[in-house]
Amino acid sequence: MVRNIITVIFCSIGAFWFLLGTTGLLRMPDIFSRLHPSTKCDTLGACSVMVGVAVYSGSLWDILKLILIMCFLLLSSATCGHAIGRSAVRRDIAPWRKSEEEEQ
Amino acid sequence: MDRGFVFRRKLLLFAVLFLFWIVLTATLAANDIVLGAISSALVAGITMLLFGQALDDRFTPRVLLKLPWFILRLIWEIIKANIDVAKIILNPKLPVDPRIVQYRTYLPDDLPRTFFADSITLTPGTVTVDIEDNLLSVHCLCPYHEEGLAGLESLVAWLFGVKPDD
Amino acid sequence: MINFLTAIAIVIGLNALICLYRAMVGPTSQDRLLAVNIVGTKTLVMVVLITFVQGENFFLDVALVYALLLFIVTVALSRYLEAEGWEEMRSDG
Repeated sequence: MVRNIITVIFCSIGAFWFLLGTTGLLRMPDIFSRLHPSTKCDTLGACSVMVGVAVYSGSLWDILKLILIMCFLLLSSATCGHAIGRSAVRRDIAPWRKSEEEEQ
Repeated sequence: MDRGFVFRRKLLLFAVLFLFWIVLTATLAANDIVLGAISSALVAGITMLLFGQALDDRFTPRVLLKLPWFILRLIWEIIKANIDVAKIILNPKLPVDPRIVQYRTYLPDDLPRTFFADSITLTPGTVTVDIEDNLLSVHCLCPYHEEGLAGLESLVAWLFGVKPDD
Repeated sequence: MINFLTAIAIVIGLNALICLYRAMVGPTSQDRLLAVNIVGTKTLVMVVLITFVQGENFFLDVALVYALLLFIVTVALSRYLEAEGWEEMRSDG
């Protein structure tokens, strides 16, 4: 019973972060700003859903595999964000500035 | 290269691969473990023959032991970062003032720099967009996010046992 | 409990559908790639949830391989987009 409650809490938090990531992806003004919600909110959302599911499962091997997936996701989402950002920089895509009119 | 050193590198790679095998097969049956040990040893030997190095030279058992504590502290930073970014996203006015800043790091080799760049990407409002030698281009969502970089750098320096003077 | 996990999976799937909007209109190729990467992360979590809805443990291995493939696809495509000769493709979209 306690385990189910913990699972519900963690999975709901995860779904909330996913919703935030989607909102950020749609609202942000340019590609560099869109990297922020995608690399942060989505990673934390995925990790908290997996923690919730690990509590629900309770079997040692499942938990170990979920931890492996989580570590890999932390590593890969950071690297993917970096790779996309680098390709945007190398293609000379201009970053959005708040006070662009005033400076020019 | 020193023979003992080569053997220790092979042993470390073997241990990492073997742990990965055990997690993947999800059993402790004798035949699975023997098969895993044989294939891990083969892969470790062939890697050493092909590339001349097994894992990065900075990746020592001491780093491996410090890694869980590092990950815990990083996760705490990530949670704080997420709450910060969430506030910005949910604010109807969207108060962002993005800019790209240059940051010169004292961390020496590829592996510590990779860890540093990844940690930056996962923490408050900052994404590493480019690395050239020791000059990182960091995209900050708001100007005050830039302040957190030095703390992260010292955290990574602690993980690899690097002093700022090196 | 299984119903709850299914509901979470459906919510995440709807999120992924909304992300496809960015993949459709995104002004640059990098925007599309980022949207595809996010959809991939969401699919990965859905696979993990389906593991426990169905009670089949081997789906976890599928999720692991999916994470590896997603990483390689994103890195390879962004290295490809770094190369020259993409101006025409970008203005088409």
